Amino acid sequence: MGCGSSFPDRDSRQLGRPSPENGGGDAKNLRVKLVLLGDSGVGKSCIVLRFVRGQFDPTSKVTVGASFLSQTIALQDSTTVKFEIWDTAGQERYAALAPLYYRGAAVAVIAYDITSPESFSKAQYWVKELQKHGSPDIVMALVGNKADLQEKREVAVEDGMDYAEKNGMFFIETSAKTADNINELFEEIAKRLPRPSVT
Amino acid sequence: MEGSASSSRSTSFHDFLHRMRHPSSLDLVRAIKSFIVSFSFYQPKPENDGRRVQDFFLSMEVAIRNHPLWATATEEDIDCAMEGLEKYIMTKLFSRTFAASPEDAKIDHEISEKISLLQTFLKPEHLDIPPVLHNEASWLLAEKELQKINAFKAPQEKLSTIMNCCRVINNLLLNAAMSEYVPAGADDFIPVLIYVTIKANPPMLHSNLKFIKLYRRQTKLISEAEYYFTNLVSAKTFIIELNSKSLSIDEIKFEECMQAAKLAKKVTSELHSACQIKQEVKNESNVSNKMHNKLDTREFHVLQHGTNYPYMEAESKDLAMEDVDILLNHYKDLVAKYTIICKAINYLSMSEKEPLLHQLEMQGEGSMLSECHGINTNTNDRTTSHEDKLL
Repeated sequence: MGCGSSFPDRDSRQLGRPSPENGGGDAKNLRVKLVLLGDSGVGKSCIVLRFVRGQFDPTSKVTVGASFLSQTIALQDSTTVKFEIWDTAGQERYAALAPLYYRGAAVAVIAYDITSPESFSKAQYWVKELQKHGSPDIVMALVGNKADLQEKREVAVEDGMDYAEKNGMFFIETSAKTADNINELFEEIAKRLPRPSVT
Repeated sequence: MEGSASSSRSTSFHDFLHRMRHPSSLDLVRAIKSFIVSFSFYQPKPENDGRRVQDFFLSMEVAIRNHPLWATATEEDIDCAMEGLEKYIMTKLFSRTFAASPEDAKIDHEISEKISLLQTFLKPEHLDIPPVLHNEASWLLAEKELQKINAFKAPQEKLSTIMNCCRVINNLLLNAAMSEYVPAGADDFIPVLIYVTIKANPPMLHSNLKFIKLYRRQTKLISEAEYYFTNLVSAKTFIIELNSKSLSIDEIKFEECMQAAKLAKKVTSELHSACQIKQEVKNESNVSNKMHNKLDTREFHVLQHGTNYPYMEAESKDLAMEDVDILLNHYKDLVAKYTIICKAINYLSMSEKEPLLHQLEMQGEGSMLSECHGINTNTNDRTTSHEDKLL
């Protein structure tokens, strides 16, 4: 099963915007709360571990916990983005706790498993919930994980893409196992973040 | 790590006090004192108080940054000073700001009561904690950390007990991940934290969390600290809302366990209060003392279990009129207790009943209690005849 569990994680207190106030960094160095949501077993924690461990910048400070991780990436315009990644429990019995986590998150990554239509439905549930209760300008990414398991695919690429497009989200398929598209996911998110205006 | 964190904290606090004694800090000291005094002019109101304290921290940070005593200070020095300030202010304002409203005390009590019921039957399996994470030593360590939350007054220290507890769980998860176990992040973290919280039953959980939220310097309740803090808030929320559907447990079984736990609790508290009444009665009555002395050692061991029955060996000719009231009280009390114990035992399942009866039998009380198992109707007769014999 490989790196095979997922956890939805959401909630941050920066009111949906990476801000230089409240310790959000400055205009060139953003600190961003990213919440990770999705059913158990879609590989959420593996996506994050891949991302955090796969960055080999020795100057960046990395926090590796079991459920909270942070990682900084440098962009081409010489700005940096520090992602503080909040994992959430994906089991149904904890679903009601999710708002505690996604409150104030600037980014939500909603993951599903391309071999599991149920996990895709669950992802759509989270999208709807965030549209209702998340920060209005939250950046959302829909991630179809386990893309290496083509022969077991049950959710078509087009389905994910269409759904994401209709809901104004960024869409990508990843494989935490092969590291495919993992960095691309986070780089794309970083580009889409609203920048605080430099005054 | 924990040790070094707390030692640097106490160093910074002493350093803060030291600097505050410097003559040039007089303006700062005045500001702090007048801020503390100003609190006594208003009624306590948690949200307002929180905002005022946070605003004061911010204004003091500016004052400290511009102060000659900190002219060459690094960011770390400033931070130490602010930590010292937070600790000082919140220790001074503690009795006013902690668990300040009756509603908070009520919620604390409800959570603690519910946890004490859950403790009697909750197993890791009910939260689907995988066997690889069953580690009594780690859990105990995490519980001990969490139980310290009420031992400190400063928000930073309270918060650090939460952090330490979460780190222990984190290490448990990371160690498991180093074996063949597939790391599951928050999917594993939250259930273990909830289980540990229930085992620990940390005192005044709600009030402690609220206090940290309101009075920990806002610039410090971010990132990892905020994440773990939020996890404990979410564990608390889960426990408050917990019902049979929250657990992997049969609904009827859950209700039975909760009922049995409630009854057992009631028996304990009835026994406790009964003992207190007895004690008072005994102290007032010299007859009791007289009787007590007459008890031979064979009988006395029966009476050692917390209650005093001074008439056990009395003869009717020893009794005076004033003993009737006392005896009647004893009698009513015994009947009430006996009835409750019978009910409680009948609520237990066979598997729980047998070891309990066995244990009591070992203590020489089993025969009486196994009789009461299954008998509810003739309780009164039985006890009455017993009392009659005594009289």
